[in-house]
Amino acid sequence: MTKRMKAAERRASIMAVAKVLFADKGYHGVSVDELARRVGVSPAVLYQHFGSKEELYEAVVDGLSASRETYIEAALDGPDDFPSVLRRITRVSVEHIAADPDLFRMELQASLESAETARRFFHSRWQSIADYIEYSLRELALEKGVRVINERVAALMFIGLMREAVYDKCILDAERYEAFTLDELTRQLIDLFLHAIDYRPAKTG
Amino acid sequence: MQNYQHELDARGLNCPLPILRAKKTIAGMQSGELVKIVATDPGSVKDFEAFCKQTGNELVESGSDGGAFAFLIRKH
Repeated sequence: MTKRMKAAERRASIMAVAKVLFADKGYHGVSVDELARRVGVSPAVLYQHFGSKEELYEAVVDGLSASRETYIEAALDGPDDFPSVLRRITRVSVEHIAADPDLFRMELQASLESAETARRFFHSRWQSIADYIEYSLRELALEKGVRVINERVAALMFIGLMREAVYDKCILDAERYEAFTLDELTRQLIDLFLHAIDYRPAKTG
Repeated sequence: MQNYQHELDARGLNCPLPILRAKKTIAGMQSGELVKIVATDPGSVKDFEAFCKQTGNELVESGSDGGAFAFLIRKH
């Protein structure tokens, strides 16, 4: 690592090292001294880029949600019926999480360390899908397009299914599910979810 | 804000619902017509910029007022 490394590059390299350490040990398990040592700089240099360990953690977490444009593109790009939109927005979200397992491990660490941080992960990762399910099911229930269920509980069920799928494929690397790709697993889980809510497409014509 | 022919109330809805509603409303409009959309999701500002970029419709005006965001979009 050269002293002449540009500030942006240095910042990025600090964040990359921090992400792996936070994923391994959680926020509280990592000291600024260890972070600096692993990056190969002094703590003073690290503080030039991030005012505190908390600020560094926040910066790493900020990079976690699928880009808004990608998400919107997925929402718009195809038929507007509930299952089609749900499949597309879930797919981009799950793919984004799977692309960076260290961030997902940070999320799991956060769930043990800090409810507030865990909520922030939920907000970035899943809130939008949960809201979409709740609103859509409320409307579909009025049109008799699904059975009468509590839409909030249904959204919880869906998020639970997806989180578990990502966990099994990206963290556990479970032999039990090795016959399925993550995409295939989530596709089948969405089928099961639609079956559970008794989704009935609106009759056309 | 200019005169508009259509209006969409997306208050209380979070992404992706406002843009899905907008897509539906605009599908029923004539080319050149304007729709005013009101939303409360702070993310809607970036969302409607992205929406217009992707759909080719024109974001004529946007502004905020007391926690609500208003967008004027012209159909391509």
